[in-house]
Amino acid sequence: MSPLDVSALNARGRWPPPAGPRVAIVGSRRPSPYGEAVAEQLAADLARVGVVVVSGLALGCDAAAHRGALLAGGVTVAVMGTGVDIVYPASHLRLAEEIVAGGGALVSQFPNGSEPRRQNFPARNFTMAALSDVVVVVEAAQGSGALITAEAALDLHKEVMAVPGSIFSPLSVGTHNLIRDGAALVQNARDVLAALGAAGEVLDDPLGTPTRLGFGLKGERDGILLHLSDVLSMSAAELARKLQLPVAEVLGRLTSLELDGAVRRHGQGYVRALRRGEERA
Amino acid sequence: MLATVHSCVLVGLEARRVEVQADSANGDPKFFLVGLAATSVKEARERVRSAIKNSGLDFPRARLTVNLAPAEMRKQGSGLDFPIAVAIALAEIGKQAPARSAFLGELALDGAIRHVDGVLVAARCLQKAGFERFFVPSVDANEAALIEGLEVIPCTHLQHVVAHLLGEDWIPPQPFAKAILESSNAALEHDLVEVHGQEEARRAIEVAAAGGHHLLLTGPPGAGKTMLARCVPGILPPLDLGEAFEVAQVRSLLGDLIPGKPLDWTRPFRAPHHGVSMAGLVGGGSGLALPGEISRANHGVLFLDELAEFQAPVLQALRQPLETGRVTITRSGGSVTYPARFTLVAATNPCPCGWLGDSARTCRCTPGLVDAYQRRLSGPLLDRIDLQVGVCRVPLAELASEPRGEASATVRERVLSARTRQLDRQGCLNAQLKPKRLREVALLEPGSRRTLERWSEQKGLTARGFHRAWRVARTAADLEGTEAIGDRHVLEALGYRLHDVAA
Repeated sequence: MSPLDVSALNARGRWPPPAGPRVAIVGSRRPSPYGEAVAEQLAADLARVGVVVVSGLALGCDAAAHRGALLAGGVTVAVMGTGVDIVYPASHLRLAEEIVAGGGALVSQFPNGSEPRRQNFPARNFTMAALSDVVVVVEAAQGSGALITAEAALDLHKEVMAVPGSIFSPLSVGTHNLIRDGAALVQNARDVLAALGAAGEVLDDPLGTPTRLGFGLKGERDGILLHLSDVLSMSAAELARKLQLPVAEVLGRLTSLELDGAVRRHGQGYVRALRRGEERA
Repeated sequence: MLATVHSCVLVGLEARRVEVQADSANGDPKFFLVGLAATSVKEARERVRSAIKNSGLDFPRARLTVNLAPAEMRKQGSGLDFPIAVAIALAEIGKQAPARSAFLGELALDGAIRHVDGVLVAARCLQKAGFERFFVPSVDANEAALIEGLEVIPCTHLQHVVAHLLGEDWIPPQPFAKAILESSNAALEHDLVEVHGQEEARRAIEVAAAGGHHLLLTGPPGAGKTMLARCVPGILPPLDLGEAFEVAQVRSLLGDLIPGKPLDWTRPFRAPHHGVSMAGLVGGGSGLALPGEISRANHGVLFLDELAEFQAPVLQALRQPLETGRVTITRSGGSVTYPARFTLVAATNPCPCGWLGDSARTCRCTPGLVDAYQRRLSGPLLDRIDLQVGVCRVPLAELASEPRGEASATVRERVLSARTRQLDRQGCLNAQLKPKRLREVALLEPGSRRTLERWSEQKGLTARGFHRAWRVARTAADLEGTEAIGDRHVLEALGYRLHDVAA
């Protein structure tokens, strides 16, 4: 969909990053302790199994996500709203260096020397969504910039997931709205991995932290899985529209996935099937 | 004097010859009509008497006997009025009717000759039986004139006809109306270009049209099921001559032909209401059965909306015609067979309230209710429907935008070439392939056979279901223009089996 040219981005560090799924973890710049903890934990668990954690190097949730990934020894990418030579906020100078040192990268669509400007950040958010397979919103108040990333992801037909919070917390209003609108709910890294279509290989112990990860994204078929929810059904026609493929082909792939037990019929459409032992508590 | 005139009565899509013999002999002036005449024929006595008098002819003042032979065959309808009157008039005058000529028509009291149903069927059968001349009501003359090798005399009034027979006047015959295939570039009433989204269902109706497969659309109210169904005739090729003829004959029997345009090249589309009776749907009536909706839909589309609302016995009666393309109905008057080779397009809600599985609204039905509703569809009828697809509501935003789908004409091109492939290869559409022929003309690649077998095991497909999926795969390959049936074709075909549930 988005003809995002990865090589056209300015980058510092290893770019493009190592192969593997990329998950953006974004959220409020002034998170609750809960949000910060979630971002860090989630990033760590995902990075440990080989997911590249993408975030925006901003204060709060972004920083927590980068930190989490680094703590787990994983790779993380910071998509910046400034030139890659200007770290904003300056307090994250050290974090930025650690990201590069950890095998990750700082990337930006803006030329070197670009100062932080208000109008650049929405574009940065779009790039972040484009670079990722899944966008997880950890905490977002109404009108938060993280919601722009989520919206961009939807436009790009990427899966958007959201972490629930307290109903009394204004910082969770945005995420709850996303969930209400169909974003998958994230309780732990497993949920995100399931959305990546890799759950089957990972999780033997439903409560444990994922340890093995064989990202066997088996070609085109699984492009479909990324679009399917396991709760709300989607029709073959809708999928065909999203994937821009002939409906006959999508129907065939769905049937093939159905034969493998990866999807099942629900109503007039399809949902992702939860395999035995994979059902979450 | 004795005079004999030929006519016929219709038995389904066949006409049986009837000889009308009129004899006036000495005795009290009386009028006997014998030869197993039903009430409608007995009434002919009164009409004929008045018509003859009012035509300025003499009605025999003698003991008059009219015999309808063969006497053991029951005769119905008003079409014998005219031949009876001609026989009586000729008997009175003392002349014989011209050889190899037949008469059919109803009389008004003033001697005018009125329309009867089934003239086309009669004309075809009489021509085959060796008749050369056919006197018909002038309003029906263009029907009869479709038959080559039969001189059709259009008759308006008994008086003219008698004058013609006596050589005092001459009625010019109706010229043979050679059927000319019209190119049907006429704007379609329902064009696929107007359908928003619904890519899956669009593809399904294309496959249905290409292979002659039956189709079931399941979806919530307002999803566009009816619109899609109405688009099906438009993506079918126009009728060929033989088909148009069959369609016209059924319509002729029912008096349904468009005056002045007996042959119509557009595919029939019939959409009976779900309250339809068994007789209305498959054919029936007292005495001899008349064609029902399924025969009116012959070579076209039978659309059954709200399939689950039809009475179960009515739906069960569809099974034989769905398999054989014909229906045989036996009534007191005898047994008749009508053609019924139609494409069934059925539509249903997924549950009684209609919203089961909809993304925006919640279904209010209890699980038991849903179960009962779906059970009404299941079983033998569903097993005979090759394509079963879900239809979702199109988002409002999409409805407001300009539709981007293909036009019916484009789809019809593909359908036409797929049908041509099938007819060239096997002489019939894929849906009509018998299992033996299917094995011969629809070779499955090893991988695709395995896929089909895996599915059958998982879903507990019947042998019939297995073959149906196979035929649909054949059609998918034909639409693509390839001979070998690959995995993708089988997978697509299995994707149209919404109602297969895990065994």
